[in-house]
Amino acid sequence: MSDFLQYLVNGLTIGSFLALIALGYSMVYGVLRLINFAHGDVFMVGSFAGLGVLTALSMSGPWLAFAAFAAVFAGALVSGVLGVGIMRAAYAPLLRAPKISLLIAAIGVSLALEETVKLLTRAGFRSYPDVLPDAMLFSGAVRVSYSQVALIGLSALLMVGLWAFVTRTVRGTAMRALAMDPDAARLMGIDAERLTMITFFIGSVLAGAAGVMYGMYYTQINFAVGFLVGLRAFTAAVLGGVGNLVGAAVAGLLIGLVQSFAAGYLSSRWADVIIFGVLIAALMVRPHGLFGERIAERV
Amino acid sequence: MTARLRWDPRAGWVVLVLGAAVMGQWLENYALTVGATILIYGILGLGINVVVGYAGLLDLGFAAFYAIGAYTSALLVLNAGWGFWATLPVAIVVAAAAGAVIGYPTLRLRSDYLAIVTLGFGEITRITATNLRITGGPNGLTGVPPVRVGDYELVTSRDFFYLALAFFALVLALSLLIRRSRVAYAWRAIRQDEDAAEAVGVRTVRAKLLAYVVAAGIGSIAGPLSAAQLGTVDPSNFTFLTSLFILVIVVIGGMGSLAGAVLGALIVVGLPEVLRSAQEYRNLAFALLLVVTVLVRPRGLWPARPRPVDLGRGAEETPPEHERSRRERREHREEPGQKRGALLRVDGITRRFGGVTAVEDFDLALEAGEIVSLIGPNGAGKTTTFNCMTGIVTPTRGRVLLAGKSLTGTSPHGVVEAGMARTFQGIRLFDEMTVAENVLLGGFARHRSLIGPWGAGLVCGAGRADLAVVRWCLDFVGLRASADQTAGALSYGERRRVEIARALASGPSVVLLDEPAAGASPVEKKSLMDLIGRIGTLGIAVVLIEHDMALVMSVSDRVIVLDYGRTIAAGPPAEVQRDPQVIEAYLGAPEDDPGPSPVADEARA
Amino acid sequence: MSAPLLEIRDLSSRYGHTEAVRGISFDVRAGEIVALLGSNGAGKTTTLRTITGLHRASSGAVRFGGEDISRCKAHEIVARGLGHVPEGRRIFASLSVAENLLLGGYLKRRDRALVDARRDAICALFPRLGERREQLAGLLSGGEQQMLAIGRALMNEPKLLALDEPTMGLAPIAAKQMMSIVRDIRARGTTVLLVEQSARLALGLADRAYVLVAGQIALRGSGTELAKDPRVQAAYLGGDPAT
Repeated sequence: MSDFLQYLVNGLTIGSFLALIALGYSMVYGVLRLINFAHGDVFMVGSFAGLGVLTALSMSGPWLAFAAFAAVFAGALVSGVLGVGIMRAAYAPLLRAPKISLLIAAIGVSLALEETVKLLTRAGFRSYPDVLPDAMLFSGAVRVSYSQVALIGLSALLMVGLWAFVTRTVRGTAMRALAMDPDAARLMGIDAERLTMITFFIGSVLAGAAGVMYGMYYTQINFAVGFLVGLRAFTAAVLGGVGNLVGAAVAGLLIGLVQSFAAGYLSSRWADVIIFGVLIAALMVRPHGLFGERIAERV
Repeated sequence: MTARLRWDPRAGWVVLVLGAAVMGQWLENYALTVGATILIYGILGLGINVVVGYAGLLDLGFAAFYAIGAYTSALLVLNAGWGFWATLPVAIVVAAAAGAVIGYPTLRLRSDYLAIVTLGFGEITRITATNLRITGGPNGLTGVPPVRVGDYELVTSRDFFYLALAFFALVLALSLLIRRSRVAYAWRAIRQDEDAAEAVGVRTVRAKLLAYVVAAGIGSIAGPLSAAQLGTVDPSNFTFLTSLFILVIVVIGGMGSLAGAVLGALIVVGLPEVLRSAQEYRNLAFALLLVVTVLVRPRGLWPARPRPVDLGRGAEETPPEHERSRRERREHREEPGQKRGALLRVDGITRRFGGVTAVEDFDLALEAGEIVSLIGPNGAGKTTTFNCMTGIVTPTRGRVLLAGKSLTGTSPHGVVEAGMARTFQGIRLFDEMTVAENVLLGGFARHRSLIGPWGAGLVCGAGRADLAVVRWCLDFVGLRASADQTAGALSYGERRRVEIARALASGPSVVLLDEPAAGASPVEKKSLMDLIGRIGTLGIAVVLIEHDMALVMSVSDRVIVLDYGRTIAAGPPAEVQRDPQVIEAYLGAPEDDPGPSPVADEARA
Repeated sequence: MSAPLLEIRDLSSRYGHTEAVRGISFDVRAGEIVALLGSNGAGKTTTLRTITGLHRASSGAVRFGGEDISRCKAHEIVARGLGHVPEGRRIFASLSVAENLLLGGYLKRRDRALVDARRDAICALFPRLGERREQLAGLLSGGEQQMLAIGRALMNEPKLLALDEPTMGLAPIAAKQMMSIVRDIRARGTTVLLVEQSARLALGLADRAYVLVAGQIALRGSGTELAKDPRVQAAYLGGDPAT
């Protein structure tokens, strides 16, 4: 039983990162009908950016918390800018082209980002400095550290913030409207191009924040971390129904749990096989995602 | 008449292969190894070309078939003592089966989901291979012996180069056959417009599955070759990056063309060799090349071009006929005393969805050669009725009977095979194909099955009967001279006529035309009227949706008027035109007391 | 005589491969209700979409309030005071009535008090909408959705409102009510350009009307003139106008 709970806690932690990334996938898909293959690598770049800030600040003691937040902020910002840059340079020109071109461009960008970072880091792993407190909240049969709680908490905060933005503010409502019916949205005076950029920015910011948190939690990052994590997050976005933000968040947590349980009860090597198996099975049963899509396909 | 030397483009391939064979004598060991690798990737390129280039299904896990081929062959050789040659058919069959397994879940998916599912399968294959003991785990299989031909062992790189060349030549020959086959046409149609393909008689589900199976089979051939070349089967050779590079072959080289696949293989293997000093920049260079190519030349460096269909000269007398019609006519003749029921019977078709009744209780009885028009204001349910009749949408209630056989619930391609063809409101041609190819594809629906008999459809192209159909149809609509023009380049009126020709090519007994005169100039409308009349004289029944009343009134035997999904009038044109209910439906009732306004009184000052 | 509020000059526009609109010219003066009639496929909706920037014209010019808006993007045209209620209503079905109206006031989003005041005014204007403020727009009846679409467009207080087939898919009674709404909109000071398939309904309330046939203007005149003109029926139903 204690194993189960341990896997549960670990799963929720990793799941909250996946949820943040999955939200970014879903948001971008909602406005552009594009699976941003490079999203996972934006996460990776954010992670490295956070590492850079932490190394530069090299603080200790009570300033550590400040440094951690600064790193998350920096990583998020760098990712946000990168995401918008990619969109304008590579995707915007292809919006009227056949779908397959956009997908391939995204794959190309993804590979380019990975290879660039690989060259800059000489394909090595980099370690995050020890930023998170070691203290345990519970340390009996089930070990829950303060840092896990903090990370889950921060992720939840970001998700709540996103939810508030999307449901409570005019801009956020406009974003939802844009995903539903771009022409009707334009007739409201909504600048579709600008709003799409903002959507991209927010989605990438979430991924960047997740990247820094991931780095702080796992401490080791390398150029390839975006690929696998991105793939798992994408699975979550699809499972939740692309464009469906609540679905993406829930599915992100779900996939985190699946990963944790699979690694715990079977072996971490088979975890991805199971995750993909879940994805394929789910799509066979419900070709539009488990929770259904929230975007209208105009006939 | 000047005699022109006709250069068969296939001769170019023969020259290429022979040239490579000759070069093999002069090259050094290293160059021979690179050359062999190029040939192996050429085979992979020809394989992925089927599923990505022809059928347009983005496969991001193609390395799985490569791996399956390699592992199957190596396992049989190492564990069961089989010879290399004996393992080949097994490897191909296993990979083809895997292709069916991988393809099946993707059949209902959108292109983006499809890509990720194939990626998932690629990863599953790699992870499985890396983690099972039988496949040697992360170290893979070692000690794969060189290939033997009789008593001779192929150990030198020159020997292997010629082996690879022989295999490549074989795969190339097979690809050349497949390229002009019926199935390849089906694939190309699916890539351009899957729904239109289905509505023209293509069995899209079967065709897509077949694309995976064929692609997997071809790709798997590269596996045993690679195993023999390296002496090992190493799972690190079958990663996502490998799949990506195989995809890059067709994306950069050219989609849907054999030359493109070979060119792509040359680039993917050759370029890093040329830039050997900057090896570590190889992947980055390809990534940037990928993005640039897709921005600048989305179809690749050497994409497929539509090829003219050799129609020959001469005119055809007999209109196209489906194999089933011949059978039916025979049956009909054998029962002369039987009262001939209506050719097409539509009973009580009702279509409801989400609280809206789009069509209610639609009835129609049609005889051969009759022309009936369906008219009504915008949103009256006309196209929905067509969609119910042709299987695009399942009616909530009611049935459709063609020559006594029920069509309700049949898939669109089944409806075409049964003898009812249609055109679309916004003309849906395969714009990248020529006019003749479009009509040819429509004619393929006459065959009883996709690849039958005996898989002939996989390698055989247009037979004499098929070409005769194309000749007849193009003559009938007056577009024989434009046969080799790309469908996308024609004028609107001409495209409309191509669509009608394509519909006629399937040998239908009923044709449904959805707004054929929409957007046509008065001259075009006149020739359309003639065309529709002539279709009627062929004995084919026509149902027409139209808004142009002049056209409707002059060409129809009967007119049916829909309003809010209900039939409000039916009869000869002149009668319907004077019907007060019809006039009211179109123009609105005479203005009387508007009734209470839902706007609050205070607002009106 | 002052310049017309909306001037269309030799406008041509393609729809797919067809030339749906072929060189039409017409005016709308401030305070008028002008109707654009014609059967399906005549080019009415394409004309409207081209005017309001959802569609690029292939040639010709559109002037609004004296300024050339031919090259403007859709959201810029809305900002200038040209509202458009599109064909099929196109309300945001998963959003509530209140959220739909809120989006109608998007351009004034910084002034929350103003937007709220306008929203209240619209709800007072259409009491049925006011009653269903928190309901999901997709659950409203056809007539209510049309009112919502119009109310949404009115949130921006446009100088000219283009309405594309507001009676489509509505039962006859609701259609007649819609025409009363149009009259009231004009009474409140908004000029109206009305595209309608139902000729008699529109002619009963339009000051002037144009009848489109195959992308060109075939008939023009005042509402009362055209209401009595047998050629209008012929334009829709064909046949000899004398019968």
